[in-house]
Amino acid sequence: MKKPLPFGGGVGVGYCRMKQILYYFLVLATLLSCEKGSSSADSISPGSGTGGSTARFTVANNALYVVTNTSLQAYDITRSGNPRIGSKTNIGVGVETIFPYRNNLFIGTQTAMYIFDLGIPDQPRRLSVYNHFQSCDPVVAQGNYAYVTLRGGTNCRNTSLNTLDVIDISNLSKPQVIASYPMKNPHGLGIDGTVLFVTEGDFGLRVLDVTNPLLIKQTQFFQDIKAYDVIPTQKRLIVTGPDGIYQYSYADPTKLQLLSKLTVEP
Amino acid sequence: MTIRTSTLVATGLLAALTGCYYYVPDPPNSKADTYRPVYLAFADARLVQTLGPQPLKMPGKIYVKDNFLLINEVGRGIHVVDNRDPAKPVKLSFISIPGNRELAIKDSILYADNALDIVALNIADPRNVTLVKRLENTFSPTDFPDARNIRFECPDPDKGIVIRWEKTAVAQADCYR
Repeated sequence: MKKPLPFGGGVGVGYCRMKQILYYFLVLATLLSCEKGSSSADSISPGSGTGGSTARFTVANNALYVVTNTSLQAYDITRSGNPRIGSKTNIGVGVETIFPYRNNLFIGTQTAMYIFDLGIPDQPRRLSVYNHFQSCDPVVAQGNYAYVTLRGGTNCRNTSLNTLDVIDISNLSKPQVIASYPMKNPHGLGIDGTVLFVTEGDFGLRVLDVTNPLLIKQTQFFQDIKAYDVIPTQKRLIVTGPDGIYQYSYADPTKLQLLSKLTVEP
Repeated sequence: MTIRTSTLVATGLLAALTGCYYYVPDPPNSKADTYRPVYLAFADARLVQTLGPQPLKMPGKIYVKDNFLLINEVGRGIHVVDNRDPAKPVKLSFISIPGNRELAIKDSILYADNALDIVALNIADPRNVTLVKRLENTFSPTDFPDARNIRFECPDPDKGIVIRWEKTAVAQADCYR
């Protein structure tokens, strides 16, 4: 992008120049869109922030999305100070989490992962459903894959199932599970590039290398902290848990460094 | 799944008829955990105000916006933290929002649940947060705890809005799920 292309000679220099400019523009556009696709926050609205995987509120483009126990409610926030009610979509029972990615919403419920299209921001359109066993299941997505953690236990229908599922979403209308990994008690998760963070509740925090989603490798497992959810942003990981808020640097994703802890006060 | 859906519908009907939420399997034994509802008086439910920094007691959801880190204090509000230096995060203020658990931001507007409402708050100055819009009665009250296979004190709607459930010994835990 920074190197100038060889100048095209011959007749019609002006036309060639124009073509060059167009070409530069296309390259730039492609680079920008790629960059966006691989960033951790990947917030599609420049004015919005980033939440964790267990969020039930999210902002994407000019809309606020809220999941209640049974439905997805959209609000038009073109004027951010004046939210206006949009469409409501019934989803079923046990709706738990909402995650925006590109022009889609990924919704985790106790029985399935739903993918919605946001072509019309205040009228989300259901594209597909990936059904799974009953459990608690936040979801994050990046590139062609969605990552879903399924947790059993008292709050989650007493199944003993605890896994990390990888779902191929290259065709958003036909999500397909391609791998499943055993976990202990996964609560939330976050992804940045090839690094996936999974919070294991009382069992700790896992750092995983997902370069090959079919062969995920664990690079670190912090068992001395309690972790409920994470936000990876700008090579800094924010972890929330019952004991406080931890911040790590993952400039080297194989060796996280604790930067600070906001401790819960008795 | 069909069976579960239909049983849920049936339990929903039972709940409506009795005021209790019954889960179809056998009731938990006497050693099951018990919960009691924590009420928010109707008069206090809509009081949103900015306070000085408050102790972190029960952290919930987190949210990052530019150099700010926002931390939900379960059922109570949001800590606003200056996170320019992640090695030294500094609590700036606490936005007291009764019943709050969720948050999201666009521009300088914070959207949060306030008991049964959604509020839009201008947080341009985190030490002086102002209410810009309230969407009333967006949510239904929570009639039962999240946990399953437990007993709990049946909620009394006259006492206020149930904002959370406390795991504790309960004298009369007549409801269960």
